[in-house]
Amino acid sequence: MNMQTGKTLSVAEAALCEAYDHAVGDLPGDSAVLIARDGLISDFKAAGLPTRRIEAWHYTDLKALLRSVPDVAPAASADAVAPLVAGSAVLSVANGVAARAASAAGATVRTFAEALADGTAAAGLTARDGDDAIGRLNGAFVRDGFVLDLPEGTEPDAPIELQAVQNGGQTHVRFQAGIGAGVRATVIERHLATGEEAAFATALSELTLADGADVTWVIQQAKGVSDTHLGQIRVRLGTDAQLRLYVVNAGGRLVRQEIHVEVAGEGSDLKLRGINLLGGETHNDVTFTVGHDVPNTTSTEVLRNVVFDRARGVFQGQIRVAPDAQKTDAKMSCNTLLLSDEADFSAKPELEIFADDVQCGHGATVIDIDHTQLFYLMARGIPENKARAMLVNAFVAEIVEELEDEPLVEALEGVIGAWLDKHA
Amino acid sequence: MPAVQETIDQVRQIDVDQYKYGFETKIEMDKAPKGLSEDIIRFISAKKSEPEWMLEWRLDAYRRWLTMDEPTWARVDYPKIDFNDLHYYAAPKNQTGPKSLDEVDPELLKTYEKLGIPLREQEILAGVEKSKIAVDAVFDSVSVVTTFKAELKKAGVIFMSISEAIREHPDLVKKYLGSVVPTTDNFYATLNSAVFTDGSFVFVPKGVRCPMELSTYFRINEKNTGQFERTLIIAEEGAYVSYLEGCTAPQRDENQLHAAVVELVALDDAEIKYSTVQNWYPGDKEGKGGIYNFVTKRGDCRGKNSKISWTQVETGSAITWKYPSCILRGDGSRGEFYSIAVSNGHQQIDSGTKMIHLGKNTSSRIISKGISAGFSNNTYRGQVSAHRRAENARNFTQCDSLLIGDKCGAHTVPYIEAKNATAQFEHEATTSKISEDQLFYCLQRGIPEEAAIALIVNGFVKEVIQELPMEFAVEAQKLIGISLEGSVG
Repeated sequence: MNMQTGKTLSVAEAALCEAYDHAVGDLPGDSAVLIARDGLISDFKAAGLPTRRIEAWHYTDLKALLRSVPDVAPAASADAVAPLVAGSAVLSVANGVAARAASAAGATVRTFAEALADGTAAAGLTARDGDDAIGRLNGAFVRDGFVLDLPEGTEPDAPIELQAVQNGGQTHVRFQAGIGAGVRATVIERHLATGEEAAFATALSELTLADGADVTWVIQQAKGVSDTHLGQIRVRLGTDAQLRLYVVNAGGRLVRQEIHVEVAGEGSDLKLRGINLLGGETHNDVTFTVGHDVPNTTSTEVLRNVVFDRARGVFQGQIRVAPDAQKTDAKMSCNTLLLSDEADFSAKPELEIFADDVQCGHGATVIDIDHTQLFYLMARGIPENKARAMLVNAFVAEIVEELEDEPLVEALEGVIGAWLDKHA
Repeated sequence: MPAVQETIDQVRQIDVDQYKYGFETKIEMDKAPKGLSEDIIRFISAKKSEPEWMLEWRLDAYRRWLTMDEPTWARVDYPKIDFNDLHYYAAPKNQTGPKSLDEVDPELLKTYEKLGIPLREQEILAGVEKSKIAVDAVFDSVSVVTTFKAELKKAGVIFMSISEAIREHPDLVKKYLGSVVPTTDNFYATLNSAVFTDGSFVFVPKGVRCPMELSTYFRINEKNTGQFERTLIIAEEGAYVSYLEGCTAPQRDENQLHAAVVELVALDDAEIKYSTVQNWYPGDKEGKGGIYNFVTKRGDCRGKNSKISWTQVETGSAITWKYPSCILRGDGSRGEFYSIAVSNGHQQIDSGTKMIHLGKNTSSRIISKGISAGFSNNTYRGQVSAHRRAENARNFTQCDSLLIGDKCGAHTVPYIEAKNATAQFEHEATTSKISEDQLFYCLQRGIPEEAAIALIVNGFVKEVIQELPMEFAVEAQKLIGISLEGSVG
């Protein structure tokens, strides 16, 4: 909504400002990049971390929740792990540094550090608005990542995996992907932890789909139990572009995943599917905005959340329809299984409609496991814990099955199954 | 779709400056000087011959108010209000209640006549005892006529202006005033606590079913008079009361601030039904003038199995900022909110409800229907929350928006917060224009376009209209008709 007048810095705010002063000397980038970084950090100093008084952070008071920030740990190392889907081309970022000479067939790949060094990345180092803490922090601190281009005519035969593995410390990673006209591709973006140390990460992805591109993009977040992960993806869809965006959160201590989509080309379609598996002490916030800016576009969003233990889940979703975006069809649903009396879930599904010839709707539910279904299974001799696990699994797996990509479906079901085995 | 274009044109044509109830009654007013200070509050308190504790209460609120900031989170846009450019007190000179119709100011009677009150208040005022509706007419801040007092007294129901109640039933007022909406609640409620001039007080004792619907007509008269009503309704154990509030206002150029506070208290097994039809002046077709309606309405289901139900039909005011809420404190209590909000011209509505589930086995239901036309913006903003010990909390929310024309906006901002695994919340919202299929179906059967649209819009709001008491349903439909004339027929 507006900037706070934070006079005194919190411990985490002070640590971040200090970390910047230490790091700025050896962060890659030309003078334009440095000016952008300085601008962002000074905005951050002025605004501080967002509190719940900022509407976009209503349920995630970052200032209160983020008590400390680990130091940058340049010595720590992390090893790449096997890709989610066998046979994928892996572009790996280990503790914030991209592997040199990584490649994917047909794609043009550069490290983000190179793009910073020659200044081409400067224009992207921006905050979306005055409340975009993630954009500010990532823009100020970003060290590396990948710039991925799939020009018109490329036909990648395997998924491309963008893998960020972290072992403690701080990392600030950015992925930029430009998908050319008519290109069909599957990209898997993974944020993983290998160590026990508390880690802090910002991750920002910029995805552009040219006319007629057809993309499946999966974001898997599986950080450690004491990690903070602040992620954001900015998407722009061209004419007749199709995007299936799957976001799977199953880890981390303090997680915020922002998804911002501009539906900017007529005939384009967005399918967002989100799975949030929350347990332990996790605070997990998925914040989504979609702007339908042109006529004849569609979007559907389906979120399935499972909340155990003392976890807290948040979903904020906003569908905006611009005055000229007639014939927009947008539907959003957010369903939550709340499985513990100490857990909680808050949802804020918003509609902001300025065109009249539209069909927009949202639905949100918060429920416990259906006792009649449980009874049905138990009556057939299935023990209660197993019956519960089956029902929870069915609740989330349903939306994975929509993907018509068998190896990917199996991989995601594997992720969900493994998590539920541990928590349910 | 041809009909819609026609509709848009007609809506544009009728606009809001043809406001039917725009007139002013010329009755001498007794006004406080402009501005707000402790002296003004002392003046108001003295005018109303209030006891010392009431003055202290007001002053306390005023001092608190000085430290507060105006809220800016609602999706409404208006020039800054100069709170020192308002009159905080205006009372008709004729202050004692008339014994017979001859004593009633003929101007006042004409006002009611011009209002075209469909209910039988005219008869009541004329002393014809056919109707069973008691009217406590709040005519610019002071109750002028109170009817049916005797019959209510027989039942043990207290229905009087709040200033009278402060004098006659200080213990009850002291016990309940500010217990639902504390003086510290929000900017406008605090302002109201400091300067409220009048309003209604209802007390329904244990086990009594109020023998009639209670109704109040609010009128805003005189230019630049801030109107600060205070309503307090208490239903004791097992009591039932249905309260109707309807409003019309004269046409004027300058904006008027209206910051009312309504508090409802329902004890064990009690039920309160509160219905509002609001049709204050919405401003002219350029969006100039009109009432600012910044209201705090809250009900406290304090007792077991108590029930509070809000029904509102909002068609007027330039800006509406209103969230009738229920605190479901008692186990098994129930809250309901039924709303129709129609915006046209340059009106801005930001309205909704809060259902706060605190007790076990509490349930709530929200049905909100928004219709936007012209250049208006219509926002539903609501909160449903279940606290840790609110076992088996249930909520069902449905908010539907209908858009007529492409210059208006419809927005939905629900907050759903569950902190208990046994809570079951369901929320659904839709935004669309009048369905082409439905319209086609009607046209095909020979129903003219306008009649067809009227039929569909009527169907759209029916769920809420049904919740209104009979006497009000007719008026409500009429008001929606006036607000959307041309499209609803």
